Amino acid sequence: MLFADTVVSDPAVHKPKVMLIMLVVATFLLTLFGLNDTIYGEFMRPVIGEPKESGFFGNVATGFVLAIIFVINVVLIGFAAFRVQILIVWLELLLLFLAFFYSFGLNYEFIQSKIWFMITQGVFTTLYISAISIVLASIVAIFGAVAKLSSNGFAFAIASFYTSFFRGLPLLMQVYLIYLGLPQLGYVIDAVPAGVLALTLCYGAYMTEIFRAGIQSINKGQWEASRSMGFGFALTMRRIILPQAMPLIIPPTGNQFIAMLKDSSLVSVIGVWELMFLARTLGNKDFRHMEMLITAALIYWCLSICLELIQSRIERHYNTISH
Amino acid sequence: MKLKRRIFTLATGAALAFSVSAAFADEALDRVMSSGTLKVATDASWAPQSFLNDDNEMDGFDVDVAREVAKRLGVEVEFVTPSWDIITAGNWNGRWDLSVGSMTPTKARSEVLSFPAVYYYTPAALAVHKDSGAKVESDLDGKNVGAGTATTFELYLQKDLSIDAEGTPEFTYKVTPGKIKSYKDSTAAMDDLRLGDGVRLDGMVGSLPAILSAIKSNYPLRVLGDPVFYEPLALAIDKGDEAFNDKLAGIVGDMKSDGTLKTLSEKWYGVDYTSAVE
Repeated sequence: MLFADTVVSDPAVHKPKVMLIMLVVATFLLTLFGLNDTIYGEFMRPVIGEPKESGFFGNVATGFVLAIIFVINVVLIGFAAFRVQILIVWLELLLLFLAFFYSFGLNYEFIQSKIWFMITQGVFTTLYISAISIVLASIVAIFGAVAKLSSNGFAFAIASFYTSFFRGLPLLMQVYLIYLGLPQLGYVIDAVPAGVLALTLCYGAYMTEIFRAGIQSINKGQWEASRSMGFGFALTMRRIILPQAMPLIIPPTGNQFIAMLKDSSLVSVIGVWELMFLARTLGNKDFRHMEMLITAALIYWCLSICLELIQSRIERHYNTISH
Repeated sequence: MKLKRRIFTLATGAALAFSVSAAFADEALDRVMSSGTLKVATDASWAPQSFLNDDNEMDGFDVDVAREVAKRLGVEVEFVTPSWDIITAGNWNGRWDLSVGSMTPTKARSEVLSFPAVYYYTPAALAVHKDSGAKVESDLDGKNVGAGTATTFELYLQKDLSIDAEGTPEFTYKVTPGKIKSYKDSTAAMDDLRLGDGVRLDGMVGSLPAILSAIKSNYPLRVLGDPVFYEPLALAIDKGDEAFNDKLAGIVGDMKSDGTLKTLSEKWYGVDYTSAVE
C-alpha cells in the first residue's frame, strides 16, 4: 500500500452513486456489443422472445441483465477481505481470458501433440539463453556501473558510450548487427552465441544504470567510514556498499529478468529454435498458427509468473515488499 | 586504480580478438567433404517445401532434395533455419554450405549468390477470398494486394521482376495493385486474406502449391485466373567456389535425368513441376 491509512471508510463500490454509475456504463457498453444473438440472448428468450428478432430492445435488455450481474459481483467482492478480493478478481479475469481463447475454436488435439516438443525444445532453449545472458549482463553491469562512477575519464567515456549505444538501438537490430556484422570482421559467430551476446550487451547497458543508481544511493559517509577503517575499494564495495544497495537494485533487476525472458524471442530471426521460433513454425504445415501462438503466449506468461514469484520472495527477504 | 587498468586490458583484448580473421572463399566443397556434413539452410515454415512435420523433424520437397544431394555427395545432412532475408543476403561466411529453399535466381540475388542448378519450376498465382467478385487478374487493379516481403511475388507486383535463369517462360504484368502490402511470408498474407474479402487484403500473389495447400486446409480462398508467371527455383551457394558449383550442377542434372526429382515432385505436389511448363 502507498501508506498505512488509519481512517476507515466504506469501499467506494458500496456507495449507491458509484453503483448506479457502474450499472449505467456497463449497460451502455454491453449494449454496444449487441449480445442478443449470442448465448446470453438465448438465456433471455423468455423476456425478449426470439433473440435474433429482438433487435435493439433485445440488446439493451441482455446488456442490462449482464450489467446487473456485473455490479452485484463487484459489490459482493467489495465485502471480502483484501487477500480474498485479490484471489477472486484474479480468478474472474483468468476465466474471462480463457473464455476469450475458447471462443477461437482452437484444436486442442493439435496443441496436445505439439506442447511437449515446445517445452523440451522451446522452453529449454529460451530459458538457457535467458539465464546465461542475465548472468553475463549482471557481470557487465557491475563493471559498467563502477566505470560510470569512476573519476577516470577514460573508463567513464567507454562506459557511457556503451550504455548510450546499446540502450539507443532496438534489440532486434543489435541481434542482426552482431550476427551479420561480426563475420565482416572475420569472426563468424554462431546463432546462439550471437543471440546471447546481443541480449547480454543490451541488458548489460540497462542494468549498468540500475546498478549505478543503487550504488550512488548509498550515503557518502559509508564510503568514508569504510575507507577510514582501512578497507580497500573492492572490499568496501563487496562488504559495505553492495549489501546496502541490493534492496534497491533487486526489484528493477527482477523486471529486467522478466523483460529478457520475453525479448529472447527476438533471437528466433537468426534461426534459434526457441519458443517463439517454434510458435511461428510448428503450426505452419497445418495452418494452425493461432493454436501455437496462444500456447506459446500462455507458456511465456507462466514463466513470467514464476519469475515474479521468485522476485517477490527475494524482495521479502530484503524486506522491501509492498504487501 | 587496479580495477580501471583491468578494464582497459579487457577492452584491448577484445579489440584484438575481433581483428583475427579467417578466409572462407573457395573452400565450401573441401569443408563439406572433410567434415562429412552438408549444412543446408532452409525455411522451417514453408509447407510443403520445408516444414516441421508431426514428429517435429524437417520435412518437405526441399528437404527431400537436400537429403538426396547430400546422399550423392556421400555426406550427412544438417539443417539450419535462419530467416529468409539472411539467406538471400549472401555472405554466409561458411555458416552453411547450401540453400535448398526454392529460391528464384533473380539478377539482384546472383550478385551475391551463385545458382548451380534449377531443380524445378513453380507457377505463381493470384489468390482472392472466395467471396470476392474478381473474375480476371485486372479486377484487382487499384486494390490492396499482398505478398511475402523480399519474394519474387512482391517484385512481380512492383513490376520489377527479372529472372535471368535459362528456360524461364515469358510473362506479362497482369495486375496493377493500388497498394502492395508486404508480409513476413506468403502464409501471413493468406492469413490476412482469409479474414474476408477486402477486410485487410483484396488479393495476394503466392506460389500455386502453397495456395492450393492452404485451400486444402480450409482457407476460404480461390485461385484467380491462370498462373501469372512460372519461376525457376534453384539451389544457391555462396559465391566463389566453382568446384562446388559444378559438382552440384552435375548432381541435379543426374537427379533430373534418372527421374528422382520427378518422383519427389509428384510425392509432394502431386504434379511434375521439374520441367518448364508451357
